[in-house]
Amino acid sequence: METTEIDAVLQALANADRRKILDLVKADPGCTVSSVVKHFDTSRVAIMRHLNVLYDCKLLLHEKVGRSRHLYLNSVPIQLIYDRWTDEYGAFWGGQLADIKYRVERGENND
Amino acid sequence: MTKAISTIFIAGTIDAVWREITKTGEAQKCFFNNVMHTTGLRPGAMIQMRSISNKYVGVVGEVLAIEPPYLFSHTFKFTSYDDPYCKVTYKLREVAGGVEFTLISEDLVEGSKTAKQMTSGGEMIVKSLKGIVENGKPPFGMRVLHRIIGVTERFTPERCKVEHWPLVDVASSPQHTRSESGEVTPR
Repeated sequence: METTEIDAVLQALANADRRKILDLVKADPGCTVSSVVKHFDTSRVAIMRHLNVLYDCKLLLHEKVGRSRHLYLNSVPIQLIYDRWTDEYGAFWGGQLADIKYRVERGENND
Repeated sequence: MTKAISTIFIAGTIDAVWREITKTGEAQKCFFNNVMHTTGLRPGAMIQMRSISNKYVGVVGEVLAIEPPYLFSHTFKFTSYDDPYCKVTYKLREVAGGVEFTLISEDLVEGSKTAKQMTSGGEMIVKSLKGIVENGKPPFGMRVLHRIIGVTERFTPERCKVEHWPLVDVASSPQHTRSESGEVTPR
């Protein structure tokens, strides 16, 4: 992955509204641009700018169906960044620690 | 029904990527080291992904469209699950310096085992393909998974054994039915 591609992905993620867009699309793959816009108080133009940033770095993919544009999350760029700084040892223990965090925070095994 | 799309840039030729996803008779490292068997890569043909040992069939499907080296689409069913067939499409597009490879999984039943596998598996497949075409080998995680799959093969369900999944054209397959109008659908 080129440095410019990594920069583009990290810059795209360094914005709360864009992260919220990714959350919305992840929860509802194939949702339309209009349905995403409804979740924000900002203008449609502002959201379209955020969408273009996400399209450019391939975090968000879109398909045109008739007059609607359907959105899909592509997590591969995040995975490639993860791979760059994670070796097999780190991946195993990092995964184990994250799993403990999720379990505790979900309240599992608290009885 | 839901749909998942994964896309990745691969620094290689479109022919190299096409060969990786359509080769038969040898292990496809990006598809969990399975071997593709087919009655011929043409619409209506059956494809199967079998273990290297040729004892088990992991996936069955029917070729829907094939346009070398740009598009390959087929139905897809895990033999170990009761979920209905979904559809998988691979799109290849030449871009500056390489190929944009896109994997689309659709007609997935939300919350099904197949949907979960395809959502996580799609990302692994495109990432592995990139590693194979660019570096000659899949990423470390996939290589570990290949070993695990080899070791645990004997625990594969009985229903996945090759003898239960004859390799014949879909129209004459016992796993499919033909309606009066001639439409072929999976049982």
